Amino acid sequence: MFHYTFHWNQALKALPQMLDGALVTLQIALLSMAIGLAVAIALTLFRLSGSRILGALATAWIEVARNTPALFQIYMAHFGLGNFGIHLSPFTSLLVGIAFNNAGYLAENFRGALKAIPDTQARAGRSLGMTSLQAFRLIVMPQMLRVAFLPVTNQMVWAILMTSLGVTVGMNTDLAGITQELNARSFRTFEFFAIAAVIYYVIAKAVTLAARAFASRMFRY
Amino acid sequence: MRISVLAFGLMAATALTGQAHADKLDDIIASGTLRCAVVLDFPPMGARDENNNPIGFDVDYCNDLAKALGVTAEIVETPFPERIPALMSGRVDVGVASTSDTLERAKTVGMTVPYFAFEMAVTANDKSGIKSFEDMKGKVVGATAGTFEAIALEKSVKEWGVGEFRPYQTQADVFLALSQGQIDATVSTSTVAQSNVKSGKFAGISVVGKAPYDIDYVALFTNREEYGLINYLNLFINQQVRTGRYAELYEKWVGGEVPSLTVNGVYR
Repeated sequence: MFHYTFHWNQALKALPQMLDGALVTLQIALLSMAIGLAVAIALTLFRLSGSRILGALATAWIEVARNTPALFQIYMAHFGLGNFGIHLSPFTSLLVGIAFNNAGYLAENFRGALKAIPDTQARAGRSLGMTSLQAFRLIVMPQMLRVAFLPVTNQMVWAILMTSLGVTVGMNTDLAGITQELNARSFRTFEFFAIAAVIYYVIAKAVTLAARAFASRMFRY
Repeated sequence: MRISVLAFGLMAATALTGQAHADKLDDIIASGTLRCAVVLDFPPMGARDENNNPIGFDVDYCNDLAKALGVTAEIVETPFPERIPALMSGRVDVGVASTSDTLERAKTVGMTVPYFAFEMAVTANDKSGIKSFEDMKGKVVGATAGTFEAIALEKSVKEWGVGEFRPYQTQADVFLALSQGQIDATVSTSTVAQSNVKSGKFAGISVVGKAPYDIDYVALFTNREEYGLINYLNLFINQQVRTGRYAELYEKWVGGEVPSLTVNGVYR
């Protein structure tokens, strides 16, 4: 059924180029996680603040980020904003789209983590004379980050995989973009996509294993 | 004893498979359906009408081919990057998809003689001030990923050493980005450029001139080892020109002077 002869030697010539692409992929994923984490902490604080406007803003962000496809979010960052004359480069569009998505999911992770921490902890802090912000920063947040750590690494893996959506907004320097271009040039679709899949797998697996090693070292009771 | 049973079994198996061997041309005729990969995002070669039915030069060409074979045509919509996976996974029999016949690609699929030829045109956003191909130097330009013109344009940008090249996944996205001013200019086939500018869907863009690239000859394609089918397709293309059907279809979908499909001074 499958009439195709694999020519790995031809495809492997492009491996250095694809590994360069993998670096760009990793770079976007890391940047989007850094931005996502910062925004997610802000969103969590907004929800705890008791302010109606800030709470509504946080809820709206989280709802849209979690309930629409990442492809749509990235496409909107490029063509949606483009409609209003705001022109983001493919790199920035992709970064903005993924960071937006990350922030929504991470904020939900933090909410779940907060629920796991009994509020007696904050009260104990207050009874020692801390302000409520101090109690949050020194007692609750470290525990929240610890509980949320593994879900956060999941999001990191997800961010790496989401970067492959960049091809829809003209991204051609990341792993998916380079793979698409090599494919178009030579039509050796199966070799290039298989190599790309292996690279994605290795990166994602490395992130998971590194995170687990880090967690078992840092979070020993 | 067991060895002879095995040998007999092997012989029987070879005889059966030997006899049952039919090539793709046989398979198409036997199945009664010709499945063509057509790009429906590439007017006037392939598009959809108001009722969402596939129309265009490539669609008519596939229908003609099916008629010649005495089977019914089935148009399988295939975006540019998915033409080869569609063929290799057996979802289509033949690509009638404006595919440039590069030597690099011919290592993977079997190409026929050219059935159409494109000239390349530059379309620019009116605000960019681009009036010719040379003006594109240093600007942000784009094209449909994986096409002849995208490969040529990216090479030009690399040679210029300034500016930026962006590949988009569909022709529609290229013109959307051009109309929004995300990119300043694009190179596409002149047929596509005129068709999109005329459609009125994309404001503020115009065709500003020709691009100095080689004529883009496009071929039908199928699996590389299907010589019987490729032979048939070559003869079919020849007959389309001989009978005047090629000129007729060209007039219907494009209009103007019919491009020659032969190259001077060499056989194919």
